[in-house]
Amino acid sequence: MADHKVIIDASKSPLSLELRELFNYKDLFYTLAYRDFKVKYAQTFLGLIWAFIQPFMTLVVFGLVFSRGLQLDTGDVPYTLFAACGLAAWTYFSGVMGQAGQSIIGAQSMVQKIFFPRLIIPLSKALVGLIDFLIGLCIILFLMLLFQYPPSANLLYLPFFMVMALIASLGVGIWLSALTIRYRDFQQIVPFLVRFGMFFTPVAYPADILVNRIPDWASVVYYLNPIAGIIDGFRWSILGTEAPSMLSYISFGVVLILFISSLFYFKKVEKTIADII
Amino acid sequence: MGDISIKVDNISKRYLIGDTSSGSLRETIANVFSSREKKKTEDFWALKDISFNVMRGDAIGIVGKNGAGKSTLLKVLSRITEPTQGRIEIDGRISSLLEVGTGFHPELTGRENVFLNGTILGMSRAEVRSKFDEIIAFSGVEKFLDTPVKRYSSGMKVRLAFAVAAHLDPEILIIDEVLAVGDAEFQKKCLGKMEDVAGEGRTILFVSHNMNAVRQLCTRGIFLSNGQVVGSGDINDIIDLYLQDNQAVSGGVKKTFIEDPDKDFQLLEARATDQQSNEKVLFEAQEDIFLQLRCKLRQPIPGLYGFLTVKDKDDNLIMETDTFDYLPNVLEELTPGISDISIKIPRRHLAVGTFTVYMNFASKQNISGFNVDSPGNILTFDVTDSYTVRGNRRRSILSTTLKWDLTGVKEHS
Repeated sequence: MADHKVIIDASKSPLSLELRELFNYKDLFYTLAYRDFKVKYAQTFLGLIWAFIQPFMTLVVFGLVFSRGLQLDTGDVPYTLFAACGLAAWTYFSGVMGQAGQSIIGAQSMVQKIFFPRLIIPLSKALVGLIDFLIGLCIILFLMLLFQYPPSANLLYLPFFMVMALIASLGVGIWLSALTIRYRDFQQIVPFLVRFGMFFTPVAYPADILVNRIPDWASVVYYLNPIAGIIDGFRWSILGTEAPSMLSYISFGVVLILFISSLFYFKKVEKTIADII
Repeated sequence: MGDISIKVDNISKRYLIGDTSSGSLRETIANVFSSREKKKTEDFWALKDISFNVMRGDAIGIVGKNGAGKSTLLKVLSRITEPTQGRIEIDGRISSLLEVGTGFHPELTGRENVFLNGTILGMSRAEVRSKFDEIIAFSGVEKFLDTPVKRYSSGMKVRLAFAVAAHLDPEILIIDEVLAVGDAEFQKKCLGKMEDVAGEGRTILFVSHNMNAVRQLCTRGIFLSNGQVVGSGDINDIIDLYLQDNQAVSGGVKKTFIEDPDKDFQLLEARATDQQSNEKVLFEAQEDIFLQLRCKLRQPIPGLYGFLTVKDKDDNLIMETDTFDYLPNVLEELTPGISDISIKIPRRHLAVGTFTVYMNFASKQNISGFNVDSPGNILTFDVTDSYTVRGNRRRSILSTTLKWDLTGVKEHS
């Protein structure tokens, strides 16, 4: 089989991302995702029910604080439904980003003993995260039935924003995973990003509350957050709220830049992972 | 070119000693701003200008002492790490087995781990599925397939893991010392399986300290020392070269301890030597082995005695002795100061294998506690047998040879 020829040459550093090799390991990708899913819920008494309890409780708290307490105005949309859309996207993004960020460090023993395209490890986290995301969608569906709120016609665009969310979380996650190998400081930074990031993302509140009250340059900075524009798009496609503003395109641009650059940066450090991990 | 399966061309691998690339952000930032406080790093060449060709169907044994670069070479060949210089061409589907059970997850069942481990080793799920029954039969853990692996004994885990590895179907197989695990019977099974693989015309690269296994499995050998190839050729010649080298170098087994003034008695140094006091790691079954101890008595301790065991690599207790075996107890006779003690393990007692010496010093009459000095497992050495025809194939627990004497001739024809 001539196609199994491998050449290792220290004097050349290829620019190719070797996607074909990645594809050859697709079964490992599924298996790793299955492992994570299984391990997460193995031996817990309630199993998958936990995945419902957490977002549900978060929504209850959000409702109490933002809707009852702060009297936040979300127009025609019931607040809980409004927050559920933001939460589903944010949970996916932060979950995948966090998991992928720590993933290479967590797979140390494997990385030192066997070869496979290392990118498989953070990539598989994006698949596991989809479970939580589907649960988020179930909650949204349930709330729509409860509030008799019909889905918007923009629903057609939802897959686009889902793909964007996936790319955004992988972009950040892959960057973090590669950086964590070299700088362990990022192990501290990741949980911090997950916790504080939510406040700088229109999850529990509509973005325009903020954008209307801060200077333009600050709004631009706010939309450098890769997930900010995507969440706007999410609400727009599911609930038919206001269309994503021009500012959202900043987010989309950031997402693409992050994702593409993360692949190349990862490729660059991949070769040294086993030596410096 | 058609028959070369691996072509290694001037491979070198450098590590930086004192390198903190996996360090903190602060250091990196500090390094950018100040050039004067450069961390001192030193080059270490784990591999230096290695070149060799492996023909299709060759079974190559790579031998060398610890730190000779064997494992680094395997890591480079299996693409876990990149060489610093040089070029390698590999022609054929390659699988490397530097560890059995890579990626095994304790929470998953045996069945799930077979799939996980198989895909990590480069099989597709369909491939694992088609070989599943064979793998399970080979491992002998059928009954526990749906039990989480964390409930397995370590032996079961190894058997399952090796079973997966044994059913890989690569054209080139790279194996590092994986036979060092499992019980003797299972090891034999593994070795047999690997011989089958070698017999099917696959290319094998095998690293082991077990010369019997290397001899049995390989046809050609490469001898590494300090990251360089010092010999390659027929496996028997290479093993001889390696053994001679081992005998010649006196950097054998020696363990020293830092002085601790709080201890009334302390073992300062232990060495395993031959009759001429040369330290060795590899002894012939034919020679006496001496354990040379240097100890320091600071305060006389009534009832002080030494305890010693010799265990084989499976932790079977082979010898157990203490200083009361020969009276008067030599440790009770000690006077304060430094003394040397020698213990002889007579020839043709220990069989071929790897042995570890454990030592403890104690006293039942000591006021400040029973244990006086506990050095623990201090020495490990190997025994081989090249002086008899049966040699390393002798399976007995002892390497004792029995003399067959002719005592008379009854009938002459």
